[in-house]
This record gives sequence, structure tokens and C-alpha cells, in this order.
Amino acid sequence: MTKRIAMAQLTSCWGCDQSLLDLHLGLLEVLPELEIVFWPAVVDFKIKDLESMPDESIHIGLVEGSCRTEDDVRLLNLMRAKSKILVAWGVCSCYGGIQGLANQWELDELVDRKFMKADTVTDPRIPSENVPAFVPQVRPNVDVVKFNILLPGCPPTSKNIVEALAAILTGKPFDLPEKSVCDQCPKVKQDKHITKFHRSHEGRIDPSKCLLDQGYLCLGFATIGFCGAICPTVNSPCKGCFGPVLRVKDHGAKIVSALGAIAEMEPEQLKDSFPDPIGSFYFTDYAASYLSRMRDKARSKKK
Amino acid sequence: MPTGVTNSLTAAGHKATSSQRQKARGEKDFEPRILAFCCNWCSYAGADLAGTSRRQMPPNVRIIRVNCTGRVDPSFILDALNQGADGVLISGCHPGDCHYTSGNLKMKSRFALLQKVLEEAGFEPERIHLQWASAAEGDVFTEGITSMVERIKALGPNPARKD
Ligand code: SF4
Ligand code: SF4
Ligand code: SF4
Ligand code: FES
Repeated sequence: MTKRIAMAQLTSCWGCDQSLLDLHLGLLEVLPELEIVFWPAVVDFKIKDLESMPDESIHIGLVEGSCRTEDDVRLLNLMRAKSKILVAWGVCSCYGGIQGLANQWELDELVDRKFMKADTVTDPRIPSENVPAFVPQVRPNVDVVKFNILLPGCPPTSKNIVEALAAILTGKPFDLPEKSVCDQCPKVKQDKHITKFHRSHEGRIDPSKCLLDQGYLCLGFATIGFCGAICPTVNSPCKGCFGPVLRVKDHGAKIVSALGAIAEMEPEQLKDSFPDPIGSFYFTDYAASYLSRMRDKARSKKK
Repeated sequence: MPTGVTNSLTAAGHKATSSQRQKARGEKDFEPRILAFCCNWCSYAGADLAGTSRRQMPPNVRIIRVNCTGRVDPSFILDALNQGADGVLISGCHPGDCHYTSGNLKMKSRFALLQKVLEEAGFEPERIHLQWASAAEGDVFTEGITSMVERIKALGPNPARKD
């Protein structure tokens, strides 16, 4: 029997769909087992199509993106109601994604910056027709509805997605790895003596050695090992895009903890090495951080 | 049937368990709630000494004893603030005196970064404070507590705190 699958996009870059399509012919292995009932990224489905389905009639619901608008929240709730197994597809869905970094500002500041003050804007106005209203902050989807499976990644690799789908189709459990990116990384690790941090374009990287040991901010130690260490393998420092190692409650706090222990420099110098620590330490999961939650509470209280 | 989240998460799945909720109060008679992490080998003994020598200090601080300030994970501090602490004080051995050689210096580096992160997130960096007080310095500990309470009183309540 084929399983009914739906793929919904909230506020996102649609890169997770792209990663699925990157399977190319590999898609043929899973497609015969699936009946696609909703996939607006590819076929012209409408929200009423989803609404008209009975509750829990979709076997597998994949939700990509996070909620920046009221329509996103409605679609998320609808996907939960209609799906038996709901998958948080990609880091946006698990932890809020890059757009969660916007939680550092208030909505009116964001709207003003984007629609009125952006350098490319020639006719500044705030759109008001045929657009859904914004919500005041990006909250992790898992705070809004229950999920059955988390599939982090920005995007999850094609292999990650197939493995998750295969597990669901065969009824096997799908557990995230305990490993970090460092555990998957082929670079030679030595004792750390970091006396200065470099931007990734500065200096010359020794491709055989650990990038962090060489003073590049590689976040593999704090990041879940699920991607196969694809960035450090090609000498690009890990930005932490898959989110934290399992059971780490706050990605940035973990990074601060490690940097304080390994950097051989004065605290002031260490501090000055990172002009935008939130952007550097919480690239895709700020919405799930303690600080963002505090700001959220303060915001709700003000109202 | 959905059975809920099967994998564990970040702070996302972590509910605050504030058992010491206080009633709403005006800012004027604001009594800050401050959490202090005290190192077992110095400041905790210093706090003890302050007590046995009957030194006066404000009652706003709840102390958690740790083996070393190097054991204070930055997430403990953020967790405390998220649960509504108005300030967090970390009190450890003077540089050079750490029982584990350099835990306090690691804390100092973490602290510098953490203050910057806090500020970028829109909170006053002064809500967290790091001080050194040895086992013999009951007076230094007392003064540290008193000035921490003053500092937080001037800032007002943690904006994320439940009333
Ligand atoms: S997780 Fe990454 S790739 Fe997927 S939608 Fe979000 S930003 Fe795009
Ligand atoms: S290069 Fe990065 S991912 Fe690889 S071992 Fe070093 S820190 Fe870890
Ligand atoms: S190495 Fe790091 S930045 Fe690169 S894909 Fe993996 S988690 Fe993301
Ligand atoms: S033992 Fe006191 S700070 Fe390390």
C-alpha cells in the first residue's frame, strides 16, 4: 500500500525541497511507495485541498520553514491535524532557522528596515493588501505543535531525507546521531593553542589540520554530526547550520563555554574577536535559545 | 497515532520550573532575586565566614555551591535569567588561587563573551557579575553581595520575569 505524503512550506528558502529533488533518480526508489497529496512547491495545490482532507489521513507530513506570518501558523496547525507522522523538515522547522535571528528586534523595526529603509527600495511603503499579517516573533515550530520526528539540517542532506523516509516507511525508529561534526571530520586534531581568530578568507588554511586549531571559528564541536562534516572537509569552517549536538539546550552557550576554555587570549581580546556573537553562535537556532525566549516573554509582558 | 517528539531538543523542549514565583509589585519596592554560584573552595567558605561573623547582607541572594567557577556552564546562567532571576552572580577564587588551576580564568573569558551576547540580545550586561572572594574574605563577599543587589535594584526587574 502506498503512503500518503504532504509537503508544506512555511516561511523558508525552499532549500529543503531542493535537497529532496537533488536525489534525482534516487527519488525513484521511494516514489513508488508514496502518493503525494499536497506539495505546492511543485504542483498547484491550494490550502483548501488540504483543508478538505479528513484528519490524520496523511501518513507523513513534512513541514519546512518556520512561522513568520499568521498564515504560517494556520498551515502548521492544519498539517498537524491532517498528519499521522509530522516531521520537522530542516533546521527552520526544528529551531526557527536563520529568520529566528530577527527576534533580536521588534516587528515594527524589522518592517521599517525591510520595506522603508532597505537600500534597494525606491517606492517605500508597507504592503497591506493580499498579504498575511506578520507574527511578532519567530517561535520554534515544536513550541506550537507536537512533532514526531526532527530532521535538522539547512537543508538536511538528500541522504538524511531518504533515511528518514525509509525509516518511516518501514516503521523503524529514526534517531538522531549522538555525534558531533568533529566526530565525522577527517582533519587531524592537535592540542589547541589559539591566540587569534581569523576570518575565513584570512591567512592560509593547512588542509590536513583541524580548522579550529588554526584559529578559524569552526563550530563542529557544538554541532550535531549529521551532515557528514561536508564544510570542514572542503576547508570551510562549520557554521553550525544543523543546530546543536543532541541534548545541548543552547547552542551559543555551548560555544561560549568552549571558546572560554580553549582560547589563549585575554578575555577582552576574545570578546573583540566576535563583533556579532549572536549571528556567529546561533546562526540557525536563535529562536530556540534562552535569550530569544527571554525577549519573547518580555515582549508578551509589555503588551 | 502521533506520540509526541521522539528526539530531544534544545531549550525548545525545556520548560522553566520556577517554584519561587512572586506577586506583581511596583518597581519602587522591588526586591531583586539574585542567584549566586559560589565556588566551594573560596567564596562559599567566604559566605560561611560572613555568616558566622554575623555580617549584615541583603537577603536577596540564593546560593548554589559549585566545585569551581569553571563548572558554571554559560547555559546555567542563561537558564536562570530565563526562569526569572533578576541577576546572576558568580563568585570564585582569586586568579592564581583556583583549586583546579585555571577554572576561574576560563570563567572570566566565558563571562566576557556572555556579557556581550546578553547586550546584543537587548539585556543589560550588568545583570550578570563575576567577582573573586577567598575563604578568608567574608567582608569582600558581603560587599560583593550588597553592591550586586544595589546594581540590580538600579536596573529594575528582569524584563523576562513573570510577575
Ligand atoms: S532549513 Fe535551511 S534549506 Fe531548509 S528551508 Fe530553512 S533555510 Fe532553507
Ligand atoms: S575542522 Fe572543525 S569540524 Fe573538523 S575537527 Fe576541527 S573543529 Fe571539528
Ligand atoms: S559542516 Fe556545519 S555548516 Fe556545514 S553543513 Fe554541516 S552543520 Fe552545516
Ligand atoms: S576552585 Fe574556586 S574558582 Fe576554581
